[in-house]
Amino acid sequence: MEKELLLCIVFLPFAGAFILPLLGLMSKPLRNYTALSFVLASTILSSLLIPDVIHGSTFTFAWQFPLGFNFVLQADMLAVFMAIVSSFIGCIIVLYSFGYISHYENQGEYYLMVVLFIGSMMGIVYSANLIFLYLFWEVTAIACWRLIGFYREREIVIRANKAFLVTVFGALVMLIGFIGIYAQTGSFDMDTIRVASKNNPISNTLVLLILFGIFSKSATLPLHTWLPDAGVAPSPVTALLHAAVLVKIGVYVYARLFIDTFTIDPVWQTIVPVIAAISALVAAGAAMIETDMKRIIAYSTVSQIGFIFLGFAINNEMCIMGAMLYILMHGLAKGGLFLCAGIIEQNTNVKDITKLGGLIKTMPITAITFLFCAFSVMGIPPFGGFFSKYMVIAGAINGGQSAIAFVFIVGAFLTIIYLFRLFTLIFMGEMKTADAKEGSPVMITSIVILAGLSVISGILIYYPSEFVRLAVNQMLGMVQ
Amino acid sequence: MTEQILLFPVLLPAIAGLLMVLLSKRFGSLKELIAVGITLVNLVLAVYLYPMQMSYAAQWFGSGIEFSLRLYQFSAFILAAVAGFGFLIVLYSVAFMRTRQSLSQYYAYTLLSLAMVNGAVLADNLIALLFFWEGLLITLFGLIFIGGPSSFKSAVKAFVIVGITDLCMMFGIGLTAFRAGTLTISQIHLPLDAAGAVAFTFLMIGAISKAGSMPFHSWIPDAAVDAPLPFMAFLPAALEKLLGIYFLARISLDMFELTAGSWVSLMLMIIGAITILLAVMMALIQKDYKRLLSYHAISQVGYMILGIGTAVPAGIVGGLFHMINHAMYKSCLFLTGGAVERQTGTTDLEKLGGIGRKMPVTFICFIIAAAAISGVPPFNGFFSKELVYDGALERGWIFYAAAILGSFFTAASFLKLGHSAFLGKASGAIKETVKEAPAFMLIPMIVIASGCVFFGVYNALPLNNFIQPVLGGKIDGHSFAGWPTSTMLVAITVTVIIAALANHWYGISRTGKGIGAVDHIHYAPVISNIYNMAEKRYFDPYNIGLVLVNGISRVAWWIDRGIDWIYSSFTVKVTYAASTAMRKLHSDGYPAYIAWALAGVIIVIAVTLKRI
Repeated sequence: MEKELLLCIVFLPFAGAFILPLLGLMSKPLRNYTALSFVLASTILSSLLIPDVIHGSTFTFAWQFPLGFNFVLQADMLAVFMAIVSSFIGCIIVLYSFGYISHYENQGEYYLMVVLFIGSMMGIVYSANLIFLYLFWEVTAIACWRLIGFYREREIVIRANKAFLVTVFGALVMLIGFIGIYAQTGSFDMDTIRVASKNNPISNTLVLLILFGIFSKSATLPLHTWLPDAGVAPSPVTALLHAAVLVKIGVYVYARLFIDTFTIDPVWQTIVPVIAAISALVAAGAAMIETDMKRIIAYSTVSQIGFIFLGFAINNEMCIMGAMLYILMHGLAKGGLFLCAGIIEQNTNVKDITKLGGLIKTMPITAITFLFCAFSVMGIPPFGGFFSKYMVIAGAINGGQSAIAFVFIVGAFLTIIYLFRLFTLIFMGEMKTADAKEGSPVMITSIVILAGLSVISGILIYYPSEFVRLAVNQMLGMVQ
Repeated sequence: MTEQILLFPVLLPAIAGLLMVLLSKRFGSLKELIAVGITLVNLVLAVYLYPMQMSYAAQWFGSGIEFSLRLYQFSAFILAAVAGFGFLIVLYSVAFMRTRQSLSQYYAYTLLSLAMVNGAVLADNLIALLFFWEGLLITLFGLIFIGGPSSFKSAVKAFVIVGITDLCMMFGIGLTAFRAGTLTISQIHLPLDAAGAVAFTFLMIGAISKAGSMPFHSWIPDAAVDAPLPFMAFLPAALEKLLGIYFLARISLDMFELTAGSWVSLMLMIIGAITILLAVMMALIQKDYKRLLSYHAISQVGYMILGIGTAVPAGIVGGLFHMINHAMYKSCLFLTGGAVERQTGTTDLEKLGGIGRKMPVTFICFIIAAAAISGVPPFNGFFSKELVYDGALERGWIFYAAAILGSFFTAASFLKLGHSAFLGKASGAIKETVKEAPAFMLIPMIVIASGCVFFGVYNALPLNNFIQPVLGGKIDGHSFAGWPTSTMLVAITVTVIIAALANHWYGISRTGKGIGAVDHIHYAPVISNIYNMAEKRYFDPYNIGLVLVNGISRVAWWIDRGIDWIYSSFTVKVTYAASTAMRKLHSDGYPAYIAWALAGVIIVIAVTLKRI
């Protein structure tokens, strides 16, 4: 039963996406609700897996193909966690799109691509074969290319091409790494590689090649500049890229491959945190200077992704727990920030924060939601971001990397400053734009859900933390 | 069941606070009633709990992060003090805030702050502590924010400064937990070796920043002007001081063994001495009632840090005694400031004057509290300062000199404040019909002012019952209660107070006005230039920090743009150039192609031959 469930989780959105434009010809609401239900199905079906995986069991769906191209889907706790987080935030974003996208052209393509995007994310999450991982990975690149270029203006299409070229270039380099893995271990299957690499660690060259792909997808220095540029996309798309799906692919695959599957040289426990630290600081600095609202939040994502990489790179329980919680908390809060930015952008037609101001008077709900999400990103209790930040920092200290942990604390200082700069320039002071209204009810509902969950996930931290702890035990148990 | 009672001081105000937001605006008086009622219940509860010792623990995050609370002598004492101030200040707010906007938010944030402070005081797990400690940031932000349309700048400043130091504390907690292997505060006993000192320093940054010490002080004077006044009496003057110094005492006494020889002790004393002097110098020249008080709220922390930093029993006892005394007289002073503001409509010392006769009760409360802060015997501030002097002198005359000099300026600035506000003649701006403040505001002032007298005359009560037990074995049953032992120190103190009076008389005879009493210091050569720069905020660590952050960010920005240039320009140009060059190879007609083909054949043959 569970095996068919796995297939549904991936293929319901992945294949179902293609009927959406057809449905759109019949009725637009029908198309919209079907899109939402496909994504929601992934969330719910993945949640159904919890009772089974929570005891540490995994289950697998496999079709055998020659030459190592086996199609294998495998569910363990890490995969279920990631699937629920992404598809849930995806749901909220689709819901928000009902309001945001309703007066633009190409809606059919929009919903097709969004659902395809989330479907292939599910594919990446559950894949236990490197080749299929790569295939789903490239599908996300295509979806992301179409979505960033949604508005079709020349400048915007160039930005979309840039994002596509950088991520696909990274992916091709990663593919070379995968082929190298095949040469070394004789398989693309993760289970086989796990056993084979135990006594024979993956060579550093291959790790570097794969890291190249991961960094390009997760927008880490020096492969990050496409992400701020992607801010030209519609806001729900940027939320999808930054919070739910795209950048989380990279960190997820890092955890899946380098913690769960491969045995690698411990030297990466220093190299990756150093890269992440530089990335976190440079991006935070850029966020201080930038004046485009969405680009600032995008730089903030680059910076926060550094914290997640730090967590995954230092291989101890606390750090990995922290990083997984970080994925959850950052997803909720950053998604909320982008969706708030979307409301502001749409209702004022301004993205330059120096030309905004005083919006708290006319958009109080958006302002408070924005502030709540910002608090969570800063890591202020009782918001969820507090725990994930502490766990990552404390884990890094326990891993003997106190100096790098301090660099990240400095990054956290900057986070507070640039988010407040953003908040005060948009919402405080003199009103500089014509009377702006609140967003439509469905958009407000979406952001309030995200902000509310940011608080609740902090107060009821026990549940996510227990789940994550079991997941980490499972991951580390497999390595040992 | 019995241990669960420890949850009440945290949950009750928190729930009441949330209720304030949820209830509709129509229930204004009901909200006041709830706020007063809950703080009263909290006070009764704190007094009831005072003699008890108990612990409560609940599962929370795991990985050593538990929700554990511990009531023992020290925390019970702070809990009771917090509850007392909480009740009195809420009572005061009923009259003061009634006409203001955003009443619901004010009570919500105040009650939530109370819950957070109670939680932080009781916490026995470093993460539980940090959870409440950092949670205060939000209510701090909110309370300053509701002060007025332009107060958000101060609110952001406060948030950024305190937020950054809280992150330092988070780092310190990480280091401490790593070294100690536990997060339970009562189980941590670490030596102050090199690594321990680093951890201590980061925890200390959090503690002294909460207390409002330099260099983390600069939001307090700004907030004094912008925020609603009871906030100043509530958080920066009372609760945050108690909390910050409480935690400083915990880390210096229990978690780490602070010894007189260590550089950490020296560092604390230097911070204390500098804070005393610089802040009081700034207080001296202020021309606003509230702003002047706020600089004293910073300066007095210096005495507490100096006292605890001396790491000798007299100093520590003095520092802790000063903590509770300061909370009393400083909140009382702020409350008198509120009364003056409400009755006259201004706190500008240039406009005020001669209201002492119209507001006699307020004036008397002011005199008592001002005498206490200036260290006049027999008020409470005198005794705690003498103990701090004693400890400081034991560690070095320079620290004593700084402390006594600070007292001189403190006395001088309060003479100026009292003279210009309550005596003399009002300028035209103040109406003749000024009346005494309403009873709701007078009662808290009277209660606290009598406390100042009581804790001075009967200083044995707080010292023997509240403070000395905290130190336990460290003082070998020795009691510091009663009249100070060193007659010489008392003589110097009295001399300094007389000198301050003389200085005041000199200043007035020169300018003829109360407000001009310190002009001869303010406008002295060299000093006036420094004052000018300080007033322009050249020395504000926040501004310096922002300039630094901007500089670093600018560099980061150029790095980022440089990387982007590689993608957006360089790669494009290289690709274009390469394809142009390649295209040229294909446009020369048949002879060229044949030449290429022949060259290829030759190369293939050459390579093959070489292989063979």
